[in-house]
Amino acid sequence: MRRTIESSLSDALITDPTRGHYDYSPVAMMPDVKVIKIGGQSILDRGRKAVFPILDELVAVKEKYPLLLCTGGGTRARHIYAVASDLELPTGVLAALGGYVPRQNARMVQMLLAKHGGVYIMNDDFEKLPLYFRLGCIPVMTGMPPFGYWEKTSENGRIPANRTDAGVFLTAEVLGAKRALFIKDEDGLYERDPKKDPNAKFIARISAPELIARDLDDVVIERVVIQYLLHARFCHELQIVNGLKPGQITRALAGEDVGTIITKS
Amino acid sequence: MSTLVQSDGRTHITSSLMRESLVDRRVIAKTHSEREVQIMPDVLLIGIGGQSIFDRGKEALLPLVDELAKARGTQKLVIGVGGGTRVRHTVSVAYDLGLPLGGIAQLVGAMEEANAVFLNALLAKHGSMVMPREHFWELPLYLESKMIPITISIPPYHFWEPPAGDSPLPVHGSDFGLFQYAEVLGMKRIIFVKDEDGLYEKDPKRHDNPKFIAKITLKELLANMPEELILDRMLFQAWEHSRHVTEVQIVNGLKPGMLTAALAGERVGTVITKTKES
Repeated sequence: MRRTIESSLSDALITDPTRGHYDYSPVAMMPDVKVIKIGGQSILDRGRKAVFPILDELVAVKEKYPLLLCTGGGTRARHIYAVASDLELPTGVLAALGGYVPRQNARMVQMLLAKHGGVYIMNDDFEKLPLYFRLGCIPVMTGMPPFGYWEKTSENGRIPANRTDAGVFLTAEVLGAKRALFIKDEDGLYERDPKKDPNAKFIARISAPELIARDLDDVVIERVVIQYLLHARFCHELQIVNGLKPGQITRALAGEDVGTIITKS
Repeated sequence: MSTLVQSDGRTHITSSLMRESLVDRRVIAKTHSEREVQIMPDVLLIGIGGQSIFDRGKEALLPLVDELAKARGTQKLVIGVGGGTRVRHTVSVAYDLGLPLGGIAQLVGAMEEANAVFLNALLAKHGSMVMPREHFWELPLYLESKMIPITISIPPYHFWEPPAGDSPLPVHGSDFGLFQYAEVLGMKRIIFVKDEDGLYEKDPKRHDNPKFIAKITLKELLANMPEELILDRMLFQAWEHSRHVTEVQIVNGLKPGMLTAALAGERVGTVITKTKES
């Protein structure tokens, strides 16, 4: 005999969430938080010249908005992925090892922001965010989601599909933020990589379904994020701005549509 | 030897992925190869159902403990446990409260921890131990000393569980979690111990005389998925692109000897294979 607890889901088919009908109205946990990713290769690998002005802009608005900073990986993560691929290791191992680099980067940013209330947090400290914000702190954490060894094998290649863009988007989604901001070294999304094709056409605004339909060989943001956006309950917009251009971040945080906006629909 | 390159204002380390966009399909394709290291290919993973076995208590669990105790030392085993009815209750309360999906995913693993301890309390004297989910690199030590590590099954997606629209149920469930555990370590076989003989075309708890499926390939299954699945749909989706797991077997833990037979390689219950068996 099964000793079951009666509940609305005691008979639900939990193996297959797509089959049931649910009247699910989740509440936003912390909708005012600005979830911001600082790019790894695009920003942090450029060092002081790129990083200091960005942190100055963020510190200047820290009284206005609760800021949650998440860091990307960059060239050291690429080096790990390249060596691990050469060794023919599984995707889950690459994802677990790739996680070390954004954590280093988060620690670097925390050291620079310490005098302004920067605190390094780990995924496990997520529930302490309200405390940090109440104290006027700027929490800094890795952008990488904690999937690690449980990252699924991709159809092609062994680079983990969920990296720091995905983690940042999912962070914004679970907190109930409407927009996630990605600070990179390009003005936003282009039809081709502008570093390789200077004439590539800029896209200021596009919806996730349109972007998927265009089937571009390269996009400025991890592809899974565009898929997640389609199903999101809270985070309905991604904004990508150029952190090398002074003022872009400040304007984006004020709600201006600078850079590229990718919308859910 | 790696050197630093700084010509474009960024500092790069030379590697085959230097300066590249990791989103570019052509770059990703360069990291593909036919082979992949099998980290622990000779380990067998056993998943023990929460609602199907643990929630039945002594009558279901004690005979399985005997079978596991006898199997210890004959091959390298790792056990993953499900959460059962307490997981459903957790999700149902969280759903009613309107917690975000990631918040729900964060909560459910705790219910499996209890089942890992329950099983270990019964099996410890025969040589078992509760092992933190991701302590993979200690496994050789445990297995060489003929211990049976017991772990929770749910994958650590936590607050970062991807949104799923209208559903409050995380799609990355325990069966998927165990699958991925086996896959990343290069294991070949997983045995799920449930309270049904295996896979049916319809849920035998809800329908009379549904057709039993003794043997099927993943491809056949994906082409014609039963509406009511005994294992997570996500497991089958992840299996499609995976490289190591060749076989998933489902056996009835309420029938004495079925687990032992499966451990001995017998085709009892349902056997789902990645490719057609020759």
